[in-house]
Amino acid sequence: MDYARSDTLAIKILIAGGFGVGKTTMVSAVSEIQPLSTEELLSDRGARVDDTSGVEAKTTTTVALDFGRITLREGLWIYLFGTPGQDRFWFMWDELAIGALGAVVLADTRRLGDAFPAVDFFEQRRIPYMVAVNLFDGARRHDPAVIRRALAVPGHVPLVPCDARERESVKEVLLTLVRHAREMSRVGA
Amino acid sequence: MAADEDPEPGPLVRMFAVTGGRARPVGEAFDVIAVVTTIGMPYDQAGLSPEHLAALRVATRPTTVADIGTRLRLPLNITRVLLSDLRREGLVSIDPPAATAGVLNERIYQEVLNGLRAL
Repeated sequence: MDYARSDTLAIKILIAGGFGVGKTTMVSAVSEIQPLSTEELLSDRGARVDDTSGVEAKTTTTVALDFGRITLREGLWIYLFGTPGQDRFWFMWDELAIGALGAVVLADTRRLGDAFPAVDFFEQRRIPYMVAVNLFDGARRHDPAVIRRALAVPGHVPLVPCDARERESVKEVLLTLVRHAREMSRVGA
Repeated sequence: MAADEDPEPGPLVRMFAVTGGRARPVGEAFDVIAVVTTIGMPYDQAGLSPEHLAALRVATRPTTVADIGTRLRLPLNITRVLLSDLRREGLVSIDPPAATAGVLNERIYQEVLNGLRAL
């Protein structure tokens, strides 16, 4: 294989979590571009007709894939992908997850359960991940240990509070994730 | 032809036309952030669509699949079909992202950490 151009590197980080938890907000906070929505056109694969009663059945549908970009230097980019929040687009995660440096599971204490599927997904695939608890205005502060137990997140997985609107806060989350991913790669996990 | 008498076709029609109705790329699959680099220009542009040519122009600087899709205002899988055509013709190279290529080493982790801190 020819990796002569490997001084050009693109790194992928996933931002996962339930619908409406602030994934796009988080991407916007650090992206140098407006989060772009690249539509993935789905045909038969996504055509499972489920609870969309009342919605006209379509053979083709589109699902928006939000992404942002951070240029660290010429030829070294981080791409942040907000995973689709709806369960029926889960198969897209598999493809997105391949080759990802790691993932941030964004959790909302008011709906902690929404973070379960994402935690489970990354645990099963042994993809380095962390949990960032988005502290909305007025959100009750929870004991991190309680959240960790509630989500069944193992002790070595970072779990930190964050404000998805704040650039510095999101930067700190990403630094935590990259450090964790490096640690995981060292222990050969 | 007067442009105003020929309204733009709907997006789905247009996409269908762009790929000749094909939904899947040819050859080996590639990542949404695989880096595309133009390595040749066609002698004969007859077989290429305006979108193919636009992709070739964008990728004269190494560019990811996701960014090309955005620049061309096309969905990802349509973009992939076009890029796979160009690869088959030997006009672009498509390199896997760092993690897939197994090149995420200590040096790169450190560079990413330093870069993030400096933002």
